[in-house]
This record gives sequence, structure tokens and C-alpha cells, in this order.
Amino acid sequence: MKQKVLQVSGLTKRFPGVLALDDVSFDLEVGEVHALCGENGAGKSTLIKCLSGVWPVDAYEGDIWVNARRADFKHIKDAESAGIGVIYQELALVREMTVAENVYLGNEPTNRLGQIDWPKVYAATQSLLDKYNLDLDPTALVADLGIGQQQLVEIVKALLKNTSILLLDEPTAALTESEVDILLDIIRDLKNAGVTCVYISHKLDEVMQIADRVTVFRDGASIATSHIGAIDKSEIIRQMVGRNIDDFFPRRSSSPAKTLLSVTNLSVFDPLENKNCLEDISFIIRAGEVLGFGGLMGAGRTELVMHLFGAFGNRVSGEVICSGKPMHNSTPIDAINAGMMLVSEDRKRYGLVLEKDIGFNQSLASLPKFSQHGLLDHHAETLANKKLFKSLRIKAPTIESMVGGLSGGNQQKVVLAKALMTQPSLVFLDEPTRGIDVGAKLEVYELINQLTEQGKAVILVSSEMPELLGMSDRIIVLSDGKIGGEFVSAQTTQEQLLQAAMTHG
Amino acid sequence: MNQTKLLRTYSMGIALVLIWLFFTVATDNFLSARNLSILSIEMAVTATLALGMLLVLLPGQIDLSVGSGVGLIGGIAAVLIFNHHWNAFAAMGAGLAVALVIWGLMGTLIIQYRVPAFIITLGGLLVFKGLFWKVIDSETVPVVAGAGDNALSLLTTHYLTPAQGFLLLGVIAFFVIRASVRQRSQRAKYGFELESSSTAILKIFVALQALLLIILVMNQFRGVPLSVVVLGIVAFSVYIITMHTRFGRYLYAVGGNKEAAILSGVPVKKVIIGAYVMLGGIVALTGFMQTAYSGASTTTIGNLMELDAIAACVIGGTSLAGGRGNVLGVLIGALIMATLLNGMTLMAVAPETKFIARGTVLALAVWLDVYLSQKAD
Repeated sequence: MKQKVLQVSGLTKRFPGVLALDDVSFDLEVGEVHALCGENGAGKSTLIKCLSGVWPVDAYEGDIWVNARRADFKHIKDAESAGIGVIYQELALVREMTVAENVYLGNEPTNRLGQIDWPKVYAATQSLLDKYNLDLDPTALVADLGIGQQQLVEIVKALLKNTSILLLDEPTAALTESEVDILLDIIRDLKNAGVTCVYISHKLDEVMQIADRVTVFRDGASIATSHIGAIDKSEIIRQMVGRNIDDFFPRRSSSPAKTLLSVTNLSVFDPLENKNCLEDISFIIRAGEVLGFGGLMGAGRTELVMHLFGAFGNRVSGEVICSGKPMHNSTPIDAINAGMMLVSEDRKRYGLVLEKDIGFNQSLASLPKFSQHGLLDHHAETLANKKLFKSLRIKAPTIESMVGGLSGGNQQKVVLAKALMTQPSLVFLDEPTRGIDVGAKLEVYELINQLTEQGKAVILVSSEMPELLGMSDRIIVLSDGKIGGEFVSAQTTQEQLLQAAMTHG
Repeated sequence: MNQTKLLRTYSMGIALVLIWLFFTVATDNFLSARNLSILSIEMAVTATLALGMLLVLLPGQIDLSVGSGVGLIGGIAAVLIFNHHWNAFAAMGAGLAVALVIWGLMGTLIIQYRVPAFIITLGGLLVFKGLFWKVIDSETVPVVAGAGDNALSLLTTHYLTPAQGFLLLGVIAFFVIRASVRQRSQRAKYGFELESSSTAILKIFVALQALLLIILVMNQFRGVPLSVVVLGIVAFSVYIITMHTRFGRYLYAVGGNKEAAILSGVPVKKVIIGAYVMLGGIVALTGFMQTAYSGASTTTIGNLMELDAIAACVIGGTSLAGGRGNVLGVLIGALIMATLLNGMTLMAVAPETKFIARGTVLALAVWLDVYLSQKAD
């Protein structure tokens, strides 16, 4: 039996009215990659917070042992000095500083005069990078790096503190497939260097690739720990949701009808990047259809839907016609009036007013419907809000609950409710299932089916190819701003999509 | 709601009560009808301007130029009346028109040409101050030509007769009760929860009793000041705008998350320009009141009023980042600021000390709010 570097027994954490962790037991063997799976709200993040000292020792019940010593962490610093480091989903880097400056931020070595010893900062960062075989330039500006590389900087920052146990909370949520592969390689290297990793992810393919063991959480309890060779994806999903999922992508196709949107030879200039981000894009979408858009990060998928919605870029050439109306120099207001609605990939930045309640957010795009001469009809508004709140099964006490306090899945449902309330005929869903749990994902898929059955059309942008193949009728793959291929989902494989995504690049 | 949250919600109300208790004990005549009447007029001026400030703070903007604007617009009206013998209404109309144009222009510069509001209005602070002094030729211009009164001077010197005061109460009571009954029948129609009718009646009863008390006290001196009625109208209008109109909802949305607002089809530019135009109107009104209160337009009118207005908003729980704030909070904030000044004047506190005390209270209030909100989470 291998040596245990960390043991947790009987860990229980209560919040008012909620049992966040329920008698959790769990251990880490030295040098393993241990995956934690579970729906949002299952208790993974709370466990991380206990292990990393965010919750002090007297805020929970139960024992944590690190290297056979009882860990009574009172602060994050205590956990750090015990060798525990955390990489959170949201990166905490200063974009205007270099890689090395970020790595040493708060720990700058100084000379006798109190000045920062910059040569030492850069040399030490370089040697740390070399030690773990990481490909990064210490003098590069963080703002110039991709998300994947920025994540590396966070990891290096943790390694600097002699971290022996690295907790990674959904590190791949924002990464492209190639970036994910790089990260997985790095985790393997860290493992060979003796670092023990805890890997939280909703993406089970990654878990199967990288983990040695997997522990599944459900409703605050640790359900089971298994060696990865002794379990498969469907068994993990079964443990996560407590039931079998026969049909993970329940696409019910409906017969496409009249053309809703036609795009011809569209080229769009991106003023921030100072280049064309879309070149010569042509496609149509009909009522009752789901058109998927695939491609690598930066291929122009988000730029395309944002442009069609009137929120991004300058049109260089081409024509967009929505329900017979030409859309030129349009604004989101024009787009909504033409029957379009966008659910953005970044719900916190582009979707929600977090300080406001569910009702405020749900009806925000539909207020003209509930007002006469500018005066609001609160009753009609509340009625519509309650109806969607119920039908989307948003888990919150009332529609007056603050959106900022909801889980990712429920926040996403609020954004979807806002879109549905405008009664659009064409919905753009940009990564609608990113960072939400399996149960909520299924509900999003069900919603897509309902929309198309009502004769509406959906443009689905997704980086998850099984989702794209499972939920779209047709798929267009973008590659470097151009169309790399168009496919009928039923006759297409993941390999074909990937190949098309990389043709121009 | 837990205790900390309750405490946070009512903290400024509690602070106000404590401040009033302090001045009641520390001075002989703080609670006299005469002083309360003066306090109510002073508060009316600060609160009116603060309510205008709320409209631009909600969408995450700011206006540092309102103090100079108050001087300028009041000065324009005074000059037209005293030097050019205009009718007071016409003079005020001209002042109002100038204010609406200037603030519409500033709003356009801020949102259309993306110059930060802080810079535009800081420029405005200086430019309007200079224009103001040019307009009045750096002299003292009375608000009345010759003897007697006019519509401008009456703004802060006219009082309702006791009978008119009670009539006002009756009218307000009628509309409050009618609105409440309508609201209940609507809620019942839609099948929403209703609070028990006794609770509803009790709430209205308490509110009307409070109003009655104010009118009784005011009637003991000269009656309800006209400026308090003006504040009431402004407060009611701003309440309706912020809570019951689409425009108001958009103010909160733009301040809460501008990008989400744009993608939800909120006409962000119109909303922000609209907020500035409304503020311009309120600046004009405040300019007339403040100038009338001094009896003449002089170079110091409006000095530092922008800071009083911002302080009243912030003490009342308005976020400078936008998206948070309401009318009741601003009224309480303005009353706290006005009370401090009034009470310290009664105690014959030196002007230097007054500045220090007001600044300290502002910082303390915000610290308390941040502290309580962190504890509540």
C-alpha cells in the first residue's frame, strides 16, 4: 500500500440550512492524480476550501491529516506552508505584469536596500520552469498569453511555494482541446516530479485520461472511490446523478421549415485585433433546426454570433438577412426586435446583473412588453417571471433571490429565461453548458428540443464535440475565421470535425 | 433575514436617530419648531440635489459640476430678474432651458465620445464657476427687483397656511389609500400573496401619522415650507422613475452590468444622456432654491454642494460603482448631512470643525456599511 500524503475523515461542514459536506472521507496517495467528480453543489469546492484553509479548522467537523500530522489550518498561509496549493477556475494574475513578476508577486526577493532583486526573480523563475519542464518565457507579458499559458503561470506560482499537493478546480473549463492536452501533459510531468494532484473536472474524458483514482461526490457525501481501470464513464455519471442516463444527448430532430437567417459572404473586421476575424462566411438556418458551430478557441465562433447579434465588429462585406429583413449596422436592440436573442458564453460578464434578483434579470430584455408609456406593469412582469422560474426549475427560494448567490447551472437558467422571455425565433447559444453540472446540462438539451419543436431555430456554439454532434442537425466548423467544413451530424465523427477545425490553422 | 442584515438595512436610520438625540441633549432649541422649520428648508435643498445625483450614480456615472451649476443657473435667473426685469417664471424657464442643454451635452460627451464622467464634470465644475462669476459680474445680485416677492424668492420663503397643510395631508392620504387598494385588488386578480389587510392598514396609518406629526410641528412655526413641498414632489417623481418605469430599471441594469445591459437590448446611450438631462433639470431647481435661500446670487452660492449631494447618496447606501441606491436612503443621507450642519451651527461650532466633523461622518458611514455587508455574507 502506498503512503498517504493526505487523509480526511468524517469531514462535515454546515451552512445555515444546508449540509455542504456530510461525513466525507477521502485520502490521497503520494504522487497520484486523484479526480473529484460530482454535480455543481455536490461539495467538491467546499472540500477544497477546507483543505486549503479558506475555512478555518473550527468552521467544520472532522479531521484532516497531512503527512500523518493533524492539520489545523487557521489561514490559507497555514495550508500553503503544509505544501497545499490551489489553482482556481478564475485566474488571479496581473495582466500588465510579466510571467516572472506574477510568479513572485508578494514574495519578491530584495537586496539590503529593500530594492527588488529583478535578476534573481527572472533567473529563479527560469530555473523553476526548467525543473518542471514547462515552456514559458519569464519575460512575457501575461496579457499576451493564452488562457492555457496563463494557467501555467498560476501553477508555477503554486510550485514556488514548495507545493507537494496541488488542488486544481476545473482547470480546463476555459481551455481549448489542444491547451487541455498540454495541461494534461504538465500534470503528468508534475506527477513524475512527485507532486500529488487533485483534479476537479466536469469533463469525464479528461478524468479517464489523467486520473489514477476517482472519488465521486453527491449531495455533500463521498459516494465511492475507484481505481480508474475499474470504472467507466457511464458508471461515474450513474454515481454522480444517482440514476442511469440512457440517452445523454436526447436530440429529437424536427423537420426544418422556412429559412430564418441567411448569411452570404460575410467578412468582419475586429478593431481590437486590427484584422479581419471572419472571412467569407455563408450559411443559412431554417426554422426548427439546430445549427452547430465548432472549431478551436479563437476560430471566430463567438465573434460570429456576437456580430450577427449586432454587438461586435465592423462588417467589411456580405449580407445578413433575418426573416426577410436585411440587417446592416444593427444593434442588439435591432436584433432582438428581429426575433434574435443571444445567450453569451460568459454569463457573469455578458449575461447577468449579479447584484440584482432573479426576476430583474429574467425580464430585463423584455421590459417593453410589460410597460405602457414607460410605466411598468409589475404584476404582469412578476407573473411572467414566476412562470419561467417554475418551468425552468430554477433552484432558489423565490424570484427575489439574488442571482449572485446561485450555482452556475441555475445562473445559466436565469440567462436562458431572459432569452426565452423575449420569445425569439432564433436563439444563439454560445457554450450554453460550460461549467454547469450534468443535471442542468440535460435540462439545457431538453430546452433546445422544445425550442425547435416550437418552430424556433438554435445556433449552438460548443467546444465539446460530443455535445455538438449529439445536439445539432448540421455542424459548421470554423477555422481561423473561415468555414473549414460543413457536416450533417448523423454522419460525422469527432475526428472529422477536429480535422476540419485544423485545416487552415 | 439575520441580525446583521437587519442592522445594515436600518443602520443609517439608527444613526440618524442617535444624531438627533445627541443634538437634542447638547442644545436647547434643536427640537424647537423654528429650528426644525429651518432644518427642513436646508435639508430640502441638499436632498433635491442629491436625488438628481442618484439618477447619474445609479448607472455608474458621477457629476462633480452640480455645485457650480447650482450657482450658474441661479445666477442666470437672478440677473434676468434684477438687471433685465424679467418675469420670475420666464427667468426660471430660461435657466432651466440652459441647464437641460448643458447637461444633455455633458451626457453626450460622456457616453458618445467616451470621455470619463469624472473628467467632463470636473471640467464643468471649473467652467461653470467661471461662467457664473461672469454672469453675475462677481457681484451680489438680489433675487427680487425692488420690494416684494416673486416666484423665485418665494421658493424658500413661502409657507403653506395651516389649513393648506392639512388639506395637503388629506390629498396625500386619499391617493395613498387608493393606490394601496388598487394594488391589493390587482395582486388578488393575479393570484399573488397578499399581506394581511390589518398589516397594510397599520403601515399606511403609521406613515400618515408621521406625516401629520411633521405638519403639526411645521404649523407651530410658519406652516409647511414650500421648499419641502418641492422636495416631496421631486422625491415622489424620482421614486416613480427609479422603481416604476422602464427607464429606471435600465438605470440599475446599466450600473449593475453595462455589457449585460447592452446585450439585453438596453439603449445604454439614451439612458445615460436621459439621466444627465434629468439631473440638469434638478440642478436648475436646486439653483433657484439655493439662490432664493440666500436672498441673492453671490459668488459662493453652490460651493461644495456637489460633495454634499454625493455624500448624502453614499451615506444613504448608494454605490459609486452603480447599480445600488434608492430614494429613501438618499433622503435619510441628506437629512443626516443637513442635521449635522444645523446642529453644529446651533452649538456654535467653528467652521473648521464643521468640515472635519462632516468628513469624518461620511467616512464612518461608508466604513460601517462595508463592515456590516462583509459580516452579513
